[in-house]
Amino acid sequence: MTLTKSPADPASAALAPRRRPTRRTGAAVTRPGFAWAVPATLFFVLFAVVPLVLVAVLSFTSWDGLSSPEFAGFDNWTALVHDPVMIQSLWLSLLITVLGVAVQTPLSLLLGVWAAGRQRNRAVLSAVYFVPLLLSATAVSVLWRALLDPNFGVPSQARWLFGDGNLLGMRSGAIGVLVFVGAWQYTPFHTLIYQGAARAIPQVLYQAAQIDGAGTVRQFFHITLPQLRNTMITSMILMVVGGLTTFDTVLILTQGGPGTDTTISAYYMYQKAFKSFDFGAGSAIALVLVVVATIISLIVVRVSRYDDMRSTAEGL
Amino acid sequence: MKKHQWHSRAVAGGVTLVLGLSLAACGGGSSGSGGGSGSFHVLVYGDATNKVEKQIVATFNKTSKVKAVLDTIPGADYQQKLQTIINTKQAPDVFFNWGGGSIQPFVKAGLLLPLDDFIAKDPALKSDYLPSVFNTAVIDGKSYGIPMRGTQPVLLFSNKKVLADAGVTAPKTWDELLAAVKTLKAKGVTPIALGGGDQWPTLMWYEYVYDRVAGPGLFQKAMSGDKSAWDSADSRKALSMLKELVDAGAFGSAYDSVKFTDGGSPALLAAGKAGFELMGSWEYSTQQDASPDFAKTDLGYGSFPTVTGGKGDPNDLVGNTNNFYSVLKKTKYPDAIAQFLKLQSSDEFVKAQLAIGNLPTTNNTANFLSTSASPAYSKYQFDLVKQAPSFQLSWDQAYPPAAITPIHQAVQEFFDGKLDADGFIKAMQALPSS
Repeated sequence: MTLTKSPADPASAALAPRRRPTRRTGAAVTRPGFAWAVPATLFFVLFAVVPLVLVAVLSFTSWDGLSSPEFAGFDNWTALVHDPVMIQSLWLSLLITVLGVAVQTPLSLLLGVWAAGRQRNRAVLSAVYFVPLLLSATAVSVLWRALLDPNFGVPSQARWLFGDGNLLGMRSGAIGVLVFVGAWQYTPFHTLIYQGAARAIPQVLYQAAQIDGAGTVRQFFHITLPQLRNTMITSMILMVVGGLTTFDTVLILTQGGPGTDTTISAYYMYQKAFKSFDFGAGSAIALVLVVVATIISLIVVRVSRYDDMRSTAEGL
Repeated sequence: MKKHQWHSRAVAGGVTLVLGLSLAACGGGSSGSGGGSGSFHVLVYGDATNKVEKQIVATFNKTSKVKAVLDTIPGADYQQKLQTIINTKQAPDVFFNWGGGSIQPFVKAGLLLPLDDFIAKDPALKSDYLPSVFNTAVIDGKSYGIPMRGTQPVLLFSNKKVLADAGVTAPKTWDELLAAVKTLKAKGVTPIALGGGDQWPTLMWYEYVYDRVAGPGLFQKAMSGDKSAWDSADSRKALSMLKELVDAGAFGSAYDSVKFTDGGSPALLAAGKAGFELMGSWEYSTQQDASPDFAKTDLGYGSFPTVTGGKGDPNDLVGNTNNFYSVLKKTKYPDAIAQFLKLQSSDEFVKAQLAIGNLPTTNNTANFLSTSASPAYSKYQFDLVKQAPSFQLSWDQAYPPAAITPIHQAVQEFFDGKLDADGFIKAMQALPSS
């Protein structure tokens, strides 16, 4: 500031624009200002932190959505601990998540690597293959509900495979359908991630391996798979979060039934809050779900050492 | 498809909860629709019947200084949204409901206006309607609702052709029903179509069997807080009869994978793959829509069979007695609303409802039955409702909303054999009764 002259001086006014840009660029390169983080932080606080805190407060109240919430102490929480449906719903959420990861990961990995090729027929096939991704979960659920109708759907034509077709009316069948429909819709998404990552693997690695005499299988296990490590972790975290919060498919396909056999935590929360109008209990379930999902995500990140951010391209 | 808005993220659920909270918390300030310049808001369930409601509102507005404004909320989310806004500035003045338990929480929260003063001034507001229907919206001795739309008793529908082919006649008694089940099963037909995936169609079987065995008293006793009713000999007898029916293969084995709401069980009946279906009177319009030829020629209807030695009157009905208009206490225009409610028994209203296949429950309905979509069916239903000594509102509507999920789970699990009679009784005794 000491160097700047009065703006009245025509000479300094002409100089000023030339000097300022250099000073700004320098500052931006070395240290982005705090101001850059303000919009994101603001949104995060407004739409994530504040609701979370309010839900935490609500979980200690009894509220039917009509009168003002009344403080209920730990009532909702003690009820939750002694609620067999709550414990079961957590196990179910976990089961559906684990099954989802187990089914979708190998499928999407193989399809993604395959689709990363550049032949023309692959492009067309992959385009067709990605169609389920474009449909809403609601549409997908309605579609499969109709296809699996025991009297008029696929089961009625394939009795040798489906028996009486009571897929959604029994525990194992209903869980199987939920996992299958989830996989049907989301495998394309994860395939897309793997496809992108597989295309980014430097070709020189494969060329070197070929010179060393490695076959396709060996190349897959020794080059492709290690190079996709971070992608796999990203994809699995997305699957875990998606699996734990499955909701639309349950709402349309099974409504938590038969009985409580597919009442997963997210659906149980909806049942408590919006069907039984017990918002306090619903909030408590929501919090449990947030905590469980966070812990599981952290475990995945730690176990996989994703936070090291080690480059897969190292050694090049 | 409205469902997608219940987004699958736990946090989104949290946000929704919090939005509800902030809606309830911010009393003043926001531009309310409740008051304003000489108009009141009427909130109804959004569906095909809205055209009648629009017409009635237009008729009312022609002569009234205070105008009525019609708002609609699409079907599936109606109850949820209503409860979220009813204690806020956005609350309507008059709203659609099912009477009974569906308005009980609002009555308890002191939000609703008892209509007894209106009725004292103009007795026709009550006397225009069939009493069994009108009483559904009476809570603690006070009237909280005026019937609107049409009545929906549950009837035993059948496929006449399937029954004729199997040599079965419409069953008058429970034993005849069991015999019919056996005959139809031997013919390779699912005896009774059931949309167990929706759960409420399963409940209809309980409602009727309990009524026929024990009469309406048992449920009333249980509703009023005497939980021993569920453990009575009558209750156990009803359960054993239901069990016998399920075990006889009356519903096949895949009924929980079938829904009524997506057209699954009505299609079974229409396609001749099933002999019977127990369903609300809307089955007729459902079939008329999906399989018009079947509805015209082969769709049979009749009342639920009697039970020998049962305490219930064979003329008793279960179902939705009707829908109702209730009024919020804080409305600024009670007099105009009283005039508006009076229109719900007018000739114009009755004719318009009949024309779209609804059956209003006013005394003048009988005069216009010939103008209905199917006069014979309308007349049959109207006489049933008129003669019914008791018209039991569906259990899941009679109990407060907190009981809906546990009731549905219990009826489904008992049919599936996951609960025995003791388990079912215990589940029903655990219901919140108020």
